Amino acid sequence: MYSLDVKAWYIAKKNIKEKLKNLGSMFWTVAFPIMMLLVYKLAFSESDDVAMINGLTVFDVEFPGIVVYTIGMSTVTSAVMFAMSKVDGTLERIDSMPVSRGNVFLGAVISETIFMNLQLILVFGFGYGVLGAHFELAMLPLGYLIAMIFGIGCIGLGLIIASFLGSPEGANGIAMLSHMALMFVSGSFFPLDNAGVFFTPQYWVKQVYLQLTVVGDFFTDLLYSGTIILPTSEASFFPIWSGILIILAFTSTFIFLGIKIFQKKTSL
Amino acid sequence: MIINMNVSIKEKTQIENSHPSQLYETDHSNEYIIEVQDLTKSFNGLKAVDGISLKIRKGELFSLLGPNGAGKSTTIRMLTTVLKPSNGDARITEYSLIKEKSKIKPLIGVCPQENVVFEALTAEDNVEFVGRMHGMNPADLKERTKFLLEKMNIAGRKKATKTFSGGMKRRLNLVMSLIHQPQILFLDEPSAGLDPQARRLVWDFIKELKNTGMTIVLTTHDMIEADALSDHIAIMDQGKIIAFGTLDELKSGSSNGNILELSFSTRKALIKAKNTLTQMKNVKSVKEMQNNKLTISFSGGIETFKQEILPNVDSFKSLHFREDSLEDIFLKLTGRGLRD
Repeated sequence: MYSLDVKAWYIAKKNIKEKLKNLGSMFWTVAFPIMMLLVYKLAFSESDDVAMINGLTVFDVEFPGIVVYTIGMSTVTSAVMFAMSKVDGTLERIDSMPVSRGNVFLGAVISETIFMNLQLILVFGFGYGVLGAHFELAMLPLGYLIAMIFGIGCIGLGLIIASFLGSPEGANGIAMLSHMALMFVSGSFFPLDNAGVFFTPQYWVKQVYLQLTVVGDFFTDLLYSGTIILPTSEASFFPIWSGILIILAFTSTFIFLGIKIFQKKTSL
Repeated sequence: MIINMNVSIKEKTQIENSHPSQLYETDHSNEYIIEVQDLTKSFNGLKAVDGISLKIRKGELFSLLGPNGAGKSTTIRMLTTVLKPSNGDARITEYSLIKEKSKIKPLIGVCPQENVVFEALTAEDNVEFVGRMHGMNPADLKERTKFLLEKMNIAGRKKATKTFSGGMKRRLNLVMSLIHQPQILFLDEPSAGLDPQARRLVWDFIKELKNTGMTIVLTTHDMIEADALSDHIAIMDQGKIIAFGTLDELKSGSSNGNILELSFSTRKALIKAKNTLTQMKNVKSVKEMQNNKLTISFSGGIETFKQEILPNVDSFKSLHFREDSLEDIFLKLTGRGLRD
């Protein structure tokens, strides 16, 4: 067996070059979130005079949803990348070289993470800098970290999807379907007040991110059941730190399962 | 009368009767770089490779010849560590395929049957990536990439390889398999899909590589390719090696003798010649073909031709005299053609 080494970095570099040249992928991962931000800003502008708490607008509290969407796209991009490598023979080609699967997975995580950072910088720059979404500066690095941890879990989900599908088109379809479905079910795009949201990782990411970086809550506070702008929303019995534990559990479980299943399905 | 003679009568040795578990050796040298022992691969109970055993000498060019589905690529995929054998083992250099595959990987280069390139990247990026995976240092890598891409006439192209033709991708694959100067090069159908000019370029390059002392194992279903390049050939069919040897050994081992094709102006002349030929002692068979042609299989080589056939059959308009081709050998061994 080969250990993890600098080869993971070369794999990551190769993955990034491939990603940057894929215009379709660039649209969904960069242009679409920017477009959504614009739509949200126009739809939920301050002039609508919607009742808010602490002077926050709908746009302010929905901005975390766009962050979740943007980062969650790594489910789709990683599913397509791994499914493609199975189909076009590049995975087998790499397998014939002195490089471990560990390096291949680490390379994918590095490239996706670098890409997620670029996406977040763009979305933060546009959302906070240009469109003026509200944020608590001191808590922003923590929000950033939560988004990245969630993103790594999404790579694991992408791996699981790629393991079962025989084509990148199929992987793209299923990954996109699951990502969008989870975005709606979790109330990340539009607030939902029902118990179902608790079963989606996206809910926890959005809610923790929202309460930390937008409202300015701290770890002693409780999570809201849906979204804090709705009159029906109530504080749940979960403290915010339990949300972070759930995000960490999601990430480790999906990365572990993703690697295990992909290895099992592709080891010949 | 047109006479097209391609006569090459060589000393022939009898090929041994083949058996699936028989050990095939290229000679009795001790310098074997690959020793395959009872290698088997089954998919859902179906044996794609059925207990093959063979030895390949260091520095030789060894061909696995057979029709599609014979088990050639599966054998190569096992020997290149990407497919786990169901049974058996192989020693590559000093390492066991089953227990030490991580030690084998740096020593081998693989040019797979399909054109496997990272399509969004340039040719240079592709080659450099493979070099990096083999731990090459940047200066050597750059120099060797330039040399090999120039050699294969694909240097200086800055566009993504998805814009390349099939032939260019094939040559790029070859470069990718060679960048780290492997001891053993596995080429799975190296000239598939190439035009005659590119095929010649690839063949010449393979010969050059062989001259450097590199051991080359190639699969092909093209008997001309196997004929042009190989030191030794193993013919595979239905997962088994059904014949093994040098080209001459294979030809002599399963030979019908020499083949003479005679073409006649009229059917009357053909019938007359056929009657005469069938009575000759050294003539093994006479087959009537389309367009007033006869195919005659006979023993005794050029002497029989000169002293018996030519004086007694004089009404033909053209003749073609040849030895058995690999296609003939394969046909005889399996009862079907290489491309069937």
